[in-house]
Amino acid sequence: MAPAVPAGPQLIDRGALLAALDRAAARRVTVISAPAGSGKTSLLRAWVSRLGQPCRLVTLTVRRDQQDAQQFWLAVLHAVRQASDHPSTPEPPAPTPAFNGPAMVDRVRSELASDPGPRVLVIDDLHELTGPDALAQLTGLLTDLPEGVHAVLATRRDLPLRLHQVRLAGELAEIRAADLRFTRDETRALIDAAGIALSESGTALLHERTEGWAAGLRLAVIALTGHPDPERFVAEFSGSNRTVAEYLIAEMLDRQPAGVQQLLLRTSILDRVNGELADLLTGHAGAERTLLDLEDANAFVVSLDPGRTWFRYHHLFAELLRLELRRTQPEELPGLHRTAARWLGEHGEAADAIRHTQAAGDWAEAARMLADEAFSLTNDGQIQTIAALLQAFPPGADHPELALVRGGVALLQGRLDEAAAHLAVASSYAATAPAGRQGRLRVAIAAVRLSLARRRGDLAEVSELASMLDSPLSGGSAGDISLDSDLRVVALMNLGIMEAWSLGHPDAERHLQQGAELARQIGRTYLEVACLAQAGFASKVRPFAVTRRRCQEAIELADRYGWGADPIVAPALITLAGSLAWTGEFGESERWLRRAATALQSDAGPGITLLLHHARATLLAGRERHREAIEELSAAEDLRSQLTGSHALASQVTGWRLAMLARAGRAGEARASLAAIGDDRAASGEVASARAAICLAEGNPAAALEAAQAVLDGTAPVIGYVTVVEAELRAGLAHRALGDQQAAGQAAERALALAEADRLVLPFVMTGSEPLLAALPRHETAHAALLAGLLDVLHGAAGAPANPPPVPPAEQLSPSEFRVLGYLPTNLSRPEIARELSVSVNTVNTHMRNIYAKPQAQNRTAAVRRARELRLLAANRNP
Amino acid sequence: MDPAPARYAIRVRGHLGATVLSAFPLMAADRQGADTVLTGLLDHSALYGALAQIEALGLNLVEVRQVPGGSGTLSP
Repeated sequence: MAPAVPAGPQLIDRGALLAALDRAAARRVTVISAPAGSGKTSLLRAWVSRLGQPCRLVTLTVRRDQQDAQQFWLAVLHAVRQASDHPSTPEPPAPTPAFNGPAMVDRVRSELASDPGPRVLVIDDLHELTGPDALAQLTGLLTDLPEGVHAVLATRRDLPLRLHQVRLAGELAEIRAADLRFTRDETRALIDAAGIALSESGTALLHERTEGWAAGLRLAVIALTGHPDPERFVAEFSGSNRTVAEYLIAEMLDRQPAGVQQLLLRTSILDRVNGELADLLTGHAGAERTLLDLEDANAFVVSLDPGRTWFRYHHLFAELLRLELRRTQPEELPGLHRTAARWLGEHGEAADAIRHTQAAGDWAEAARMLADEAFSLTNDGQIQTIAALLQAFPPGADHPELALVRGGVALLQGRLDEAAAHLAVASSYAATAPAGRQGRLRVAIAAVRLSLARRRGDLAEVSELASMLDSPLSGGSAGDISLDSDLRVVALMNLGIMEAWSLGHPDAERHLQQGAELARQIGRTYLEVACLAQAGFASKVRPFAVTRRRCQEAIELADRYGWGADPIVAPALITLAGSLAWTGEFGESERWLRRAATALQSDAGPGITLLLHHARATLLAGRERHREAIEELSAAEDLRSQLTGSHALASQVTGWRLAMLARAGRAGEARASLAAIGDDRAASGEVASARAAICLAEGNPAAALEAAQAVLDGTAPVIGYVTVVEAELRAGLAHRALGDQQAAGQAAERALALAEADRLVLPFVMTGSEPLLAALPRHETAHAALLAGLLDVLHGAAGAPANPPPVPPAEQLSPSEFRVLGYLPTNLSRPEIARELSVSVNTVNTHMRNIYAKPQAQNRTAAVRRARELRLLAANRNP
Repeated sequence: MDPAPARYAIRVRGHLGATVLSAFPLMAADRQGADTVLTGLLDHSALYGALAQIEALGLNLVEVRQVPGGSGTLSP
């Protein structure tokens, strides 16, 4: 693997210094802290090129003025993967709008840990990392490096890395400016290596004048190479009071041909340069050859890639070149920045293009560009970059285009009222903008308003805005069309989310899937994952098998791109967890819920947090932990009151809380709470079912029957058939209390029939239907297998272990073997099972033999136990 | 809190030429022996900006001092 900076010429063997670094690297963390031009990068290059094969090297150089923690960590992760023989995934790590720092550090740590053997992580120019979050996260990584990993950091100044733990453990080594200074002997060796004829006293003078400062010595070597009179040069240099760098750079530049001087000066405005860009800035062809020659000839131009197409200048050198350019050719500067901006813009480097437009002083144009690019920069997770670009505009100057950008940033940072105020300014500007600009601005404003309305839960506004974005911009350029697609995906996603969350709208799924499909077509994988995860939630009305598959697909895609801990995946994680709780797979459900909580730790709106509480309550209800379930439901209700619109699960949250109170022996409290509910929700099937539960707890089965009847005859609207199952069971319990065993049995049978397809367990647990089911004559039910499984869960629910040990996946049973397995927990004999399945007894015998062989079970009881452990009975596996 | 702008004198080793001096447009330069003293009325962000420039240019910083005279408003 190539080092970040390829080994260059004129690197003398500084054996003592390298040995010092070798010794330092025996500790876990080495910090090289010394001013500009001290030779840090050269030392790292030399040291890295000497490292033996068994040591794996991860190198990166922090980009100039790196404010974005995410960009930094993506670069780290990329470097780690490049250095690995077995990268965890072939996909390049990609940015996201919602960056989860701690999760990213964990990921880097685990990928570093996945390769055996010694590894060195080298980070150069760490002082360029200016975001406080990134430094804190890096401290976290350095304090807890995986076994066998050493970190070497180079920085111009001491950074607020809180490494005292590492220092106390004796695992921190430091190399500072004094260590990096060239000795007399090293100065001599450097002069000799360059083939310069300089006397011993001349060398001593040079060493003294530069104080062994690496940059000074290297500059001197370049100026001296081919100099007609080296002794005179050193004498004059030594006699001058000018600063070392300025004196020597002037000398060195003077000795370059005019074309090379112009190339260096004009390209100094760039952070990195390639041949094409340099040709544009100089107005001459052939710059790449010159850059390659310069790199070969000295250490002040370095290539950045193994193919040597991109170059950068030594920072100190670039700084002086820029000053020289500004001083001597100030009139050229705006034009150069404009040329650079155009090229960068055309090559997809939007942020750099805007920076150069700002540097050219074209503020209005820069504001327009930023307004146009803010949306896609946001989708790339470059929020900090947008904030920094906003900051760079001169204060006081009013650029109405920026109101839109400020609104978007405020929205992302959760300041909704501020976002709305900026949007109002943006809208009134759009009304007066030039005709050609209006359409585009309106669309961009609508996109931000859409996100704002969705966060506030305002469905009417969302629908209106989405339909506006649905019609394409007229006569757009290629850029307009791609913006169009981005906006359309976001419009579909927000619309779908609103529909799914507020009403359980039938179009929700369709809109989200269209959004996912379009996102895939235009390569916006992040938006695709976001749409798919929401589609998982929206498909709650589907058979569970479909819901689960959708959620799993969304999670798998997110995992592949390293977004598994992002808030966007949370809807899928929670929906999956909830559906597992519904079918009695409590351990699995809990595992996914834990993951969802991790994903939501960095950013959580009231809507999604409500969903998390709801899913937790579902699991707790399944485990009959009523008190905790009630707490979760109360938390969910509190959050609901923060939303503008309705919430799909609102009536269920309320209904469950009331029913749970009644079952926990708090019927009075439930009754009082019921009386306080608004008419809207009181009319829902969920609350009607809860009323039945309260009446049952109060010992009034006749009233319970009447309440349940509102659900069963369809007068009370329900959010799903699960409410009907609940109501049937409560009606059955009421019939039973009234002594009508036959009606009770019929109600239970209808509940079983409804629950069969999804193999629902939860409503039976929640309603406390065990006595109802136990009284149901086995031979009379058409759902013997489900019934047996249910009774099993009802007996064991409360005592189920919180964290069942992970079990290996079962060898796959054939569909017919699986059908037979479903009957094993029943008391049916083999001939009876054969009749139920309309097969011969011999077939059943064969299947049973296979079943016993597969899950390592010797008899029927052991097979059932083993199969339960493997969660085979609970899962709905339709062949 | 940000104190009012004050006059600062920043001493660096060596004589600064026109190129390096152009990095400090808000400050007057005065050669004192082998050093250069840059003086100007600076608020804190301007002061730290000047120090960052000194760092970036690899200059040898000798002394930073607040000096009497001129406080209140910023002069260009």
